[in-house]
Amino acid sequence: MNYVLSKEDLAPFLAQLSKRFQVIVPAKNDSGIVTFQEFSGQEVCLETERLSSPKKFFRPAKEKIFSFAKKKEGYEVKPVFDKTKRVIFGIRPCDTHALQALDELFIRYYGLDQFYSSRRKNTLLIALQCTKACENGFCQSMGTSQAVGADIVFTERGDEFFVRPETEAGRAILDRKLFKQTGDAEPSSKISCKVSLETHNLAENIYRGFESPVWKQEAERCLSCTSCTQVCPTCYCYTTDDEFEFGSGSKSSRFRFLDSCQLKRFTTVAGNHMFRASRSSRLRQFVLHKFSYYQENHGMQLCVGCGRCISVCPTKISLVEIANSIQKQVLEGAK
Amino acid sequence: MKLASKKAKVGFFSLSCCEGCVLAVLDLEEKLLQAFKQIEIVESRLLMEKVKPSALRLDIAFVEGSVVSKHDLNKLQYIREKSDFLVALGACATIAGIPGIRNALPPGLKEKIKRQAIKPIKEKVFPLTAFVKVDYLLQGCSINEQEFLDFLNKFLHGAKPRLQEVPVCFECKLRENACLLLKGEACLGPVTYAGCDALCPSQNVQCIGCRGFTNDANFESLDALFKEIGLSRKERYNLFTYFNQLPEQLKHLKGDR
Repeated sequence: MNYVLSKEDLAPFLAQLSKRFQVIVPAKNDSGIVTFQEFSGQEVCLETERLSSPKKFFRPAKEKIFSFAKKKEGYEVKPVFDKTKRVIFGIRPCDTHALQALDELFIRYYGLDQFYSSRRKNTLLIALQCTKACENGFCQSMGTSQAVGADIVFTERGDEFFVRPETEAGRAILDRKLFKQTGDAEPSSKISCKVSLETHNLAENIYRGFESPVWKQEAERCLSCTSCTQVCPTCYCYTTDDEFEFGSGSKSSRFRFLDSCQLKRFTTVAGNHMFRASRSSRLRQFVLHKFSYYQENHGMQLCVGCGRCISVCPTKISLVEIANSIQKQVLEGAK
Repeated sequence: MKLASKKAKVGFFSLSCCEGCVLAVLDLEEKLLQAFKQIEIVESRLLMEKVKPSALRLDIAFVEGSVVSKHDLNKLQYIREKSDFLVALGACATIAGIPGIRNALPPGLKEKIKRQAIKPIKEKVFPLTAFVKVDYLLQGCSINEQEFLDFLNKFLHGAKPRLQEVPVCFECKLRENACLLLKGEACLGPVTYAGCDALCPSQNVQCIGCRGFTNDANFESLDALFKEIGLSRKERYNLFTYFNQLPEQLKHLKGDR
């Protein structure tokens, strides 16, 4: 059974939820950016355009993973898992696909990353379908324009939401007073993206363009500012570091930090060897990881077509333009 | 250094600067008292009641300020000789900073200043690295207090402190700020080391590079972007040399001044 929720009733619904959950909603921050933040009565922003993703609730920029202290014999290590009961409202289809890609790596492939899976397990997702295309998104090309794996799916319809619960847990949080049953068909959430990427044999064709001059041409503009990897909902690379407290017998903690493949430091290994010293090789790594390597290793794309990396680049480097021009080159060369 | 029963001997020294970085250390207040469980300050003009040069060997010497005179150089060499670990503190010590503006002045003005000033070395202002081995850098104008504490903590526990080596944009994106460059403002974020938690861009103020240029800065591209935004050659020259020395790749900005 599906439901209808009046837009006026959204805030009361979220307020109700926040008694039992930490409720996360998209809202504007001080600098006018739509970000995911804890709900405290602020206006929920339903704009399609948004630079930040809910990645920070699954792969935080800084995450304490365990504390350790020296004992008479050996060390005492206590892992830290985030078990906060959370509801994320308004996650877009592209970002739900991003979580599928992260699940593949951190839950299915690595065995079980408990830090990630604990957050995942304790979070309910209320997806919001897109009814309007965003500026640089190309989800149509990537096949990510419909929400997957959410507990409830909302679709805007005039001054109300059409609500389709997907899981038992999702159905359980719907308040019967606010949500009215409906027999209507689900409204269309078909959009037409302004940006499009050729995806036929994408992984293979881009890899064939490994030595293409395009990488170097584009990298001349690249500032290595890491903005693209920071806003990407699937970029997960990390580094670890320890923090200590003053005094003897002190407690210490290990943290996991988000890192970026665009940095020289990231590609520096023992003996100070830098295996991707040139800017173009680092840019290439970013694009190939998204389109080729992940496909090869996990059978899925790591790019979900949200287009944030394009929106955020100060020098307007577009991974779609790169991918399209390389594919064109490769296919022309094969003729 | 091992987690020692003995307290680490620490000295703070100032060359040519505003002493703002040691002041920032004082700003730590309560937290600094925590650190006193493991350190003992044996020499510092600003942090001690009575100043007397100590003959003791230092485990860590924190040195702020630039080298602008023979006097500074002698002092720096003396500190280096008696210290096991030397940390350059702040923009003046790490990249010549504000005193280093003198290096970018037109010749006429430089002469005028020279007549009034104490004897400069080779007419130029230098960071500490130009003369002695520096073991660690704490950058910024002034330094980030938390970064200072983190360094001290790691050092005292025998862990190897690691330089941040990420650009300001990295931290700016984490704070979910609107990008100033995309708004058409000239910001040095992409070429400047982070560690400040993107303090200035978070207040809607452009980054002017106080933490020094990254080892991977794409100056040509950023300069082209500034030009596109509408900055004149002089404006770009001034921005790039505000805290930093003009990088080799941007020699063309010098013009005929």
